[in-house]
Amino acid sequence: MLSVPVLLRRQSASLRLRTLCFTSGIVAGLLISAVLLMAVGVPADAIVNEFIVQVFFTERGLAQTATMATPLILVGLGASAALHLRFWNIGMEGQLWCGALAATGVAIYDIGPEPIRIVVILAAGFAGGSLWIALPVFLKLRYRVNEIIMTLLMIYVAYLLVQHMLFGAWQDPATSFPVSPPFDPFETLPELGWGHTQAGLFIALGAGALLWLLMSRSRFGYYANVVGHNADVARVAGLPVATTVILAVLLSGGLSGLAGAVIVAGDEHRLTLFLGEGYTFSAIVIAFIAGSRPIPTVIAAFAVAGVYAAGETLKVFYSISEAVVILVEGTILFCLLISRFFCTFEIRSSRRPASP
Amino acid sequence: MSSGQPLAGPASAPALELRNIRKSFGSNRALDDASISIDWGEVHALLGENGAGKSTIMNVASGIYAADDGQILIDGEKARIQSPLDATRYGIGMVHQHFRLVRNFTVAQNILLACEGRDVGIRTIRDASREVAAMGERVGLRADPAVPVARLSVAEQQQVEILKVLLLGARIVILDEPTAVLTEQEAESVLAFVRTLARHGHAVVLITHKLREVTGSSDRVTVMRHGKVILNAVEAPGLGADDLARAMVGEEIATVKPPTADTACERLRISGLSVPARPGESGVGLSDLDLTVFGGEVLGVAGVSGNGQQQLADCLLGLLAPASGSLQLDGVEVGHAGMHARRSLGLRGIPADRFGAGLVEELSVAENFGMTGVRDGTFGRGPRFSRRTMVRRAAAAIDRMNIMGAAPGSLTRLLSGGNAQKLLLARELDGSGSILLAHSPTRGLDVRACHAVHTLIRNAANAGMACLLISEDLEEILALSSRIVVLSRGEITASFAAGSATRTGIGRAMLGHA
Repeated sequence: MLSVPVLLRRQSASLRLRTLCFTSGIVAGLLISAVLLMAVGVPADAIVNEFIVQVFFTERGLAQTATMATPLILVGLGASAALHLRFWNIGMEGQLWCGALAATGVAIYDIGPEPIRIVVILAAGFAGGSLWIALPVFLKLRYRVNEIIMTLLMIYVAYLLVQHMLFGAWQDPATSFPVSPPFDPFETLPELGWGHTQAGLFIALGAGALLWLLMSRSRFGYYANVVGHNADVARVAGLPVATTVILAVLLSGGLSGLAGAVIVAGDEHRLTLFLGEGYTFSAIVIAFIAGSRPIPTVIAAFAVAGVYAAGETLKVFYSISEAVVILVEGTILFCLLISRFFCTFEIRSSRRPASP
Repeated sequence: MSSGQPLAGPASAPALELRNIRKSFGSNRALDDASISIDWGEVHALLGENGAGKSTIMNVASGIYAADDGQILIDGEKARIQSPLDATRYGIGMVHQHFRLVRNFTVAQNILLACEGRDVGIRTIRDASREVAAMGERVGLRADPAVPVARLSVAEQQQVEILKVLLLGARIVILDEPTAVLTEQEAESVLAFVRTLARHGHAVVLITHKLREVTGSSDRVTVMRHGKVILNAVEAPGLGADDLARAMVGEEIATVKPPTADTACERLRISGLSVPARPGESGVGLSDLDLTVFGGEVLGVAGVSGNGQQQLADCLLGLLAPASGSLQLDGVEVGHAGMHARRSLGLRGIPADRFGAGLVEELSVAENFGMTGVRDGTFGRGPRFSRRTMVRRAAAAIDRMNIMGAAPGSLTRLLSGGNAQKLLLARELDGSGSILLAHSPTRGLDVRACHAVHTLIRNAANAGMACLLISEDLEEILALSSRIVVLSRGEITASFAAGSATRTGIGRAMLGHA
């Protein structure tokens, strides 16, 4: 008697099964992460305290998590918007840098009247991000150039552009560091008086709500759904496939650019060389966990922000490195992906009749 | 194996005999008590339409499928063939229509890969290279062992496949439609080679649906239809084209009176349409195709698949841009227009691959049903549309078309093939269109669903729609069409009015003998 395990695609996964898969994925990821953290010298009791209690259940911790979540929500939404259409934008950082550049440009050259300057800054940020992804989407649709490589490499181009400005024309004459002059007070997003949170949090949450409305209620969202699932069906049904892809991808770049503007206008109040690092990876993690749906994206962004916030503390108190924090994030993502596999397939043992 | 002398002793026992083979796939009976017998030293043609069971019975002989019932005899002795490995051991080798070569491996690497696990004395690349050269010399095929397969032409790849089965020790060689993908000259040289193999004593089975190959290159022929053997091992040279065509497609039967065309109302005109064959794929493109479909008629396009049907459908559905020629709907040129423009001129379409180009499996029934309506403003214009109206219309369509197991909110993936097809038809035949393209609309459906689909298409034509029915199923073509054309190698080779269409005539045209 031979027993062979076979993979069977499930007809449909019940809500219970999906919830079970998701939670077991998270739990497995957290357990493995805990082992990792203990291996680098963090005591077990501190892990629970730092990862759950401190970042979500104390006012100061929650405020810090919310501060970190603000740009993460925006880049996560940006990643989701493109991923939903199967356009693999992995250059969120490049678009973020471009948004930050455009926002800083508006502040430096004093474009627009002072009372609405901050609106111009945010709009410029969005436009900068859109512009940075316009070339990849054009080349992809026109000449089938691979968008993964293009968006990825354009991160470095954007970063070099930032360096060029900060070591040159935009360097603050008051310091010898590669930073831009500080923004005027009317060019910044107001603080909310709760930790370091700023008005950008509302912008991010508003963007999440708007994207949800767009995707679930509008004609565009419906088109995006069909095109994302099967572009040939959309084509035969006469839906505007190229337009839908272009709009969604420009929206994706724009949201990442907006994240850049929110960081410079809300947190840093000037352009620096360090404000955009690591967002690509986090954005992809967030969009994947959330299945590129807007509301879960906001929640996932908070969860990832919690990991980062805890990581900040651990870095200070237990001198672990940044790499360990990223490792934790990656471990949780891996476990979720594996759990999703079990949600899609079931493993059965098929018995083959023995040879007579 | 040695060349130049007979491989087996007494001529009394056939090389390969399959007795009373039965094989079903689900409820579909692919082989129904089929028996066939091949002798040493002969080229035996196996003729039949798509789905007649020719490839299936040879796949049973070569161990790819296990028969549900029946016996296999090799050299008069019972053989147990349960895997391709067993078949190799008995000296059976099959060259498949779709080559099984690793494209970025060299010829020698491919041969070595095929010899893996089989005891034929080829263990290194050097062995493989030497044997390829030696065997090539012996049988008159030339192949450079060091060249990657991707750099070879289709004909050369086929030679590698043939060398492969010979090196594995095949004495019974089965070729599945070897000339389907070749040019005229290449086909000629393959057929010449096949005759050489037989002269050397091999038993050769030539699966084909080309009449010329039967009468010109074969010793005997067996004709199959619907899983049964119709003509059993008849001497090929004496046969006429009519006898073979009739055996292949069956006797004439009376049909329902087909819808009549309104010849004053020309809906669809295709003229000079050319599409290149897709590189790397088998099959042909379209060359200089002319077709006209009038309101109120069903124009049936018959033919063996791979003769340009997919390209014709894809061109009409806006999935493929024509290289040249014109495509007119109601006199308006749409060759480079998008599908939305074509739909507003009244074009509706049923693609052959219903989940590849018709419906999205992961969306709800209502979302699939409403797809065209959302686009043309049926459910409201502006940035929003009324989902409630869409769901209500979908529910009405489910009732009207009797789509079983469907609710507006249920996942389309969960529908059976027949019900999914009804959903697609409900969307496309909402009464607003004037031209219908239906490509293999009953593929994979059961009898009841087939009947429902046929009734819908007939009703659409009676209501004045111009219907273009592309199908490999001759029954379907004969049952529905007002006029019939035959598509062969990307060209229209014959055309018939409903009354004058005979199976024999269509069969001959399908075989390239117009």
